[in-house]
Amino acid sequence: MTFWKLFARNRGAVVGLAILILITFMAATAGIFFPEDPFSLAGQSMSPPGENGFLLGSDSLGRDVAAGIAHGAKTSLLIGLLATLVAVCVGIVMGALAGYYGGIIDDLLMRVTEMFQTIPSFIFAILLVAIMKPSIESIVIAIAVVSWPAVARLVRGEFLSLRNREFVQACHTLGMSDIRIMMGEILPNCLSPVIVIGSLMVATAILIESGLAFLGLGDPNIMSWGFQIGAGRTLLRSAWWVCTFPGIAILLTVLAINLVGEGINDALNPRLRERS
Amino acid sequence: MSLRNWAAAALCTLGLALGAVPADAQKAGGTFVYLVQPEPPSLASYLSTSGPIGLVAPKIYDGLFDYDNDLNIVPALAESYEVSEDGKTVTFNLRQGVTWHDGAPFTSADVQFTVMSVLKEVHPRGPNSFREVTSIDTPDDHTAVFNLANPAPYMLRALSAYESPMVPKHLLEGTDIRSSDLATSPVGTGAYKFVEWKKGQYIRLDKNENYWKPGLPYIERIVGRFIPDASTRTAAMENGEVMYGAYGAIPNIDAVRLRDTDGFSVTTDGYSMINPMALIEFNTTKAPFDNSAIRKAISLAIDREFLIENIWFGYGKPATSALSTNFAPTGLYKAGLPNYAAKADVAGAIAMLDAAGITPDANGIRATAVLDLIPYGEDWRRAGEYMKQAMSEIGISLELRYEDVPTWLKRIYADYDFEMNINYFYQLPDPVLGVHRHYGTDQIRQGTHFVNSSRYSNPTLDALLASGAQEASATKRAEIYGEVQDILAEDMPVVNLFEMQFLTVYNEKLKDHATSALGAYGPFDRAWLDE
Repeated sequence: MTFWKLFARNRGAVVGLAILILITFMAATAGIFFPEDPFSLAGQSMSPPGENGFLLGSDSLGRDVAAGIAHGAKTSLLIGLLATLVAVCVGIVMGALAGYYGGIIDDLLMRVTEMFQTIPSFIFAILLVAIMKPSIESIVIAIAVVSWPAVARLVRGEFLSLRNREFVQACHTLGMSDIRIMMGEILPNCLSPVIVIGSLMVATAILIESGLAFLGLGDPNIMSWGFQIGAGRTLLRSAWWVCTFPGIAILLTVLAINLVGEGINDALNPRLRERS
Repeated sequence: MSLRNWAAAALCTLGLALGAVPADAQKAGGTFVYLVQPEPPSLASYLSTSGPIGLVAPKIYDGLFDYDNDLNIVPALAESYEVSEDGKTVTFNLRQGVTWHDGAPFTSADVQFTVMSVLKEVHPRGPNSFREVTSIDTPDDHTAVFNLANPAPYMLRALSAYESPMVPKHLLEGTDIRSSDLATSPVGTGAYKFVEWKKGQYIRLDKNENYWKPGLPYIERIVGRFIPDASTRTAAMENGEVMYGAYGAIPNIDAVRLRDTDGFSVTTDGYSMINPMALIEFNTTKAPFDNSAIRKAISLAIDREFLIENIWFGYGKPATSALSTNFAPTGLYKAGLPNYAAKADVAGAIAMLDAAGITPDANGIRATAVLDLIPYGEDWRRAGEYMKQAMSEIGISLELRYEDVPTWLKRIYADYDFEMNINYFYQLPDPVLGVHRHYGTDQIRQGTHFVNSSRYSNPTLDALLASGAQEASATKRAEIYGEVQDILAEDMPVVNLFEMQFLTVYNEKLKDHATSALGAYGPFDRAWLDE
């Protein structure tokens, strides 16, 4: 069966993919539908949805909530993808070295990984962003730093089980270098779980970013969903729409990514192929 | 007439006959719970002017004076005072029969010790308030004579329990004042005695049975509660758990809602001694803000009314000078100065920039800068976001920076590593106490918080400030400060944004709580509960 057919067996995954495509489209076209800066004071403050030309209402300074959601989608997706990419790369390198060489290298790298894992990840992220000045780079770094250990442990496990297989031994006899065996032979064989965990990490990264922005540790110069919710939190009882719509946006995105992740898992995991 | 009505009528008659209970008589007793936000670091009001300390300590300590809502002096520990002809000797006649909470008598030696050894030494603003005091004579136990180097009329405005609390000499003398136990178990002469401090929860004070005001206080017990979350504080107010919240303990948005709810009221009284002013400080030592034209243009381009209306929910007054309009009754405030726009004057700002040769580049940008935001809550972030938008209209591109309190304080006041900074200052009841520190060359004190971080230095202004501090004649003083305000409107090292109005939200069962100009920082000795 093709990948798509396997993936499409999971109805939820298809719905998730559709939502995700929609959100990506929204992020890509934000500049076309809302050419103004999302921070611009566009009109009457605290307008309810549908009034004064605001589709989803405006906040306490008269900023358009809809424009904020569209531009915020860009930020959320960008941070989610970038942070995951960094975390996955670091995790693969650490896990591959530990799993392939074993021994002292394994001990050393795994103790370092465990050190990171023992610190509660969100609190660690807050600490990192607070130490560095809140900016998009520091947020990506913070999320990557708290996310990579999971990847490292997964990759190490896969490498441990693959490194003594016949095809790897064959490579050794052919005189291939370690790097080439690791990257060219073992890694492709353990990529599917990495892809699954990576897709779920995007969702976690978006949540962490929103949480940081909500606590006021977002980049104050960049519109994001967490920022909108944080800014609207105090208005909840008089202007519910300011934080409700960005909240729904976060909910849908994270749900969609999780559904897609599960679909990929179903499609890539041979043990689940027979599941109906 | 039914039996019940008859009984009621009889009771009424009895009440009238006794004549002791008029309709609105103060009732004694009860427990008064109020919000203290955030939890104070200590109760050492003689060491720190930190806001939450002020919410508790003045109920325990007395000052020589209190002040009524029109800023008139009300005698407290000092029954009366005389100022000599030349203004250089001030004699305080102290109240007799006052005792500390531990039973020791309060005497002039306590006053001498408090001012000379405590306030002048370790208090943040004391060295300024009492700068002219050279010595204090104590001819007897109830007379304290302050000898001044120069006349210091402003000193008489700094003698409240909040600003200059009288502390017990017998407990502090010979100890290290900065680390005395008195900081966490205070002993004063005030209306309430300290009983208990449960960290993270509350501070409890009980009625001082031996208080020197006969019959006062009415309230049996005062509990100051610490509730970190703003919406929980609002909920506690709404369900009657707490009865009073000042200094923004209840966010303005909720205060506006509670104002329109039965049983709750909101007041802006009780802040006239504090006189808070929102403002922008500039680093005047480097480009782009070393040029006064760009600072004035920024002042013109700010829509002060928009800020007040949309972020502070209508509570505030656009600034019109370096001094607050609260100085109008003393004649020091000068009206009609240029460069303070209530509504944005974008065209005027652009004309000013053009005239100064600050022209836009190909992208329409005339200057770029980082705007630091005071990390004291969401309102200030909103103000920063507004500034960024408003300044882009006159071609000034701003980047916002929001850091934690220690980093921010270090950046602005120790490292001077900033370009512009949104902040607020207390102007206090006299410019010498609250305004000089912003502009004087001698107030460029690296490492000291809330002084002249703009590093603006103007010898003409310095001379005026020096003579303003010593001038005894009100009319001459007004002239001097008029000139000061003219210079500052032209140079604008600091752009004043608006006179802040803090809100006090209270349950209407609480009566007579706003009898002092100090409001929430007042003694609360006449407050009572109508339950």
